[in-house]
Amino acid sequence: MFLQQLVNGLTIGGIYAMIAVGYTMIYGVVQLINFAHGEIYMLGAFFAFTFITVLGLPFYAAFPLAMVCCAVCGVLLDIFAYRPLRQSPRLAALITAIGMSIFLQNLAMIIWGSRAKPFPQEALPAYFEKTAVSFGGVNLSWFHFFIFVLTIVMMAGLHLTIKKTRWGKAMRAVAQNKTMAALTGINVNRVISYTFALAGALGGAAGIMVAAFYNSLYPTMGYIAGLKAFAAAVLGGIGSVPGAMLGGVVLGVAEAFGAGYLSSLYRDGISYAVMIIVIILIPAGLFGRVLKETKKSM
Amino acid sequence: MGKLELQKLTRGAKIRIGLLIFALILPFLPFVTDYLLHIAILVLLYMILALGLNIVPGFNGLLDLGYVGFYGIGAYTSGLLTYHFGLSYWVIIPLAFMNGAIWGILLGAPTLRLTGDYFAIVTFGFSELVVLFLTNEIWLTRGPLGLPGIDVVSIDLTLFGGPKWEFIGELPYYYLAIVMVLITVFVMYRIQDSRLGRAWFAIRDDEVAAVSCGINLLAYKVIAFAISAAFGAVGGSFFARWMTFLSPDMFKFWESFLILCMIVLGGMGNIWGVMIGAVILVSLSEVLRELLPLLGLPADVRFLAFGLIMVLMMRFRPAGMLPIAAVAAQMRAGRTKRRKSKPAMGIKK
Repeated sequence: MFLQQLVNGLTIGGIYAMIAVGYTMIYGVVQLINFAHGEIYMLGAFFAFTFITVLGLPFYAAFPLAMVCCAVCGVLLDIFAYRPLRQSPRLAALITAIGMSIFLQNLAMIIWGSRAKPFPQEALPAYFEKTAVSFGGVNLSWFHFFIFVLTIVMMAGLHLTIKKTRWGKAMRAVAQNKTMAALTGINVNRVISYTFALAGALGGAAGIMVAAFYNSLYPTMGYIAGLKAFAAAVLGGIGSVPGAMLGGVVLGVAEAFGAGYLSSLYRDGISYAVMIIVIILIPAGLFGRVLKETKKSM
Repeated sequence: MGKLELQKLTRGAKIRIGLLIFALILPFLPFVTDYLLHIAILVLLYMILALGLNIVPGFNGLLDLGYVGFYGIGAYTSGLLTYHFGLSYWVIIPLAFMNGAIWGILLGAPTLRLTGDYFAIVTFGFSELVVLFLTNEIWLTRGPLGLPGIDVVSIDLTLFGGPKWEFIGELPYYYLAIVMVLITVFVMYRIQDSRLGRAWFAIRDDEVAAVSCGINLLAYKVIAFAISAAFGAVGGSFFARWMTFLSPDMFKFWESFLILCMIVLGGMGNIWGVMIGAVILVSLSEVLRELLPLLGLPADVRFLAFGLIMVLMMRFRPAGMLPIAAVAAQMRAGRTKRRKSKPAMGIKK
């Protein structure tokens, strides 16, 4: 029981972490809570679903293709919704973000219908179902492994991108000070687009994995997942990428144990409660800095 | 005064009196069916809610995404007190008001110290927790089964040997709602012109300047949030007794969004604008609800339009249809440019 919950928690936690990283990166460069990020995650699942069912692509091809589409969606979202408001007060951008989130959710409802759909299981590689390891009464399928490995690879890749590449350096510069970054010759808008693309690709990947793992996808799936991932980002300290990774995993494990031992009815409530408590007690999160000065919210 | 001298009234006052008379005789117009009257009550209810929410984003410049939580608290306060104790609606209104305010203070006091972003997300989480509580605490709320058979509103004078009137049909509720809207609007105007309101506007316009004038930011923001929550709860208490049925589904995030959209469309901080926003969006919502199934789409898709309205309003007319000059100046792009740049949250480590 304990181990099983731990494994479940780590699996879902890794996925939360992937979404949370998107929130945190976008917050880092544009100081905006991108409410529509959960919708990108949902779109990832639907893109993969469409590529598999309509185009008949195999899972391994649909997965990266859907990620690319999500990256494009992220960039378009930035260009059409957020870029015109870059000099506007926070409140305007926040309202736009929440508006885009609702818009995308309902657009998906129009395109794909509002009912939950099963993920095309036949497209998944057959060995996913097979048990890879079995210890202490816990069965780890290859699918668990796939998610673990992919999450770790993507997180490591992201970390290296931010730390080692020119683009990553530019991103960090933009996050620190846009004006200075622009003065040193960084194309700030392009860096922001690039960040949205990265965040979108990771969010989309998370969406596909969740849809395939739980075998269901529906247009409102991004709403709860987005909120939970945001809770993870807050827990880790918003703006901090390693914090978001850790926050996601901690939240996933807390949720699995909470659902297992306390009350499964309040499964979703655990993340919200954690988020509210963290915000009240340690607003800086585990790795972040305190937002002391109130930025103009209007 | 004696007789009303029409010439001496300003144009605005004439419009107001005209609208009020129209609202009062509306139920007796020939084309008004029960369904239309129902929508009219819904419009009035949303006016109360939107006016209540308006305090937070409109007067204080903070984003509140969890307003429906307080609406739900008020509705269930009203529903449960009626269901279990048979309390009169007239007793319930102040109780719901206080309950809303208490929760507003409990949530607001620790979180309003933080920046607006965190506040927005905490309110969001709070309203989700309220819905979860209402769904899961079956011993109290009957959970997803809902709370049926809540008594209608009645005026009971039997204590004084008088008769007892029960509110049956839509008509009495319509007039009750009008009275409640009038009281709400009156309170809002008085608050807006009071010391409290001026302090809020100062906070909205420039927090640093407000603090240096001796305004206690946290205290004033918490008061704003509590009053806003209290009006949400009053709206909920009316809703419970009018619908005579409650279920947790009625208090999903969509409602918060719809109310926020009314404010954004009408003009943040503008009492008239907010009321017009309520009229437009409730009507639009009802029209789309009828129209969309004809196109073979689920009725929920109407929120697509609301999302689009919000994005477009922010892009092209951020201060709303009836903008207040101060808000318009605030929301104009480029405002933040002049401010000293803040140490941004860096991607660290």
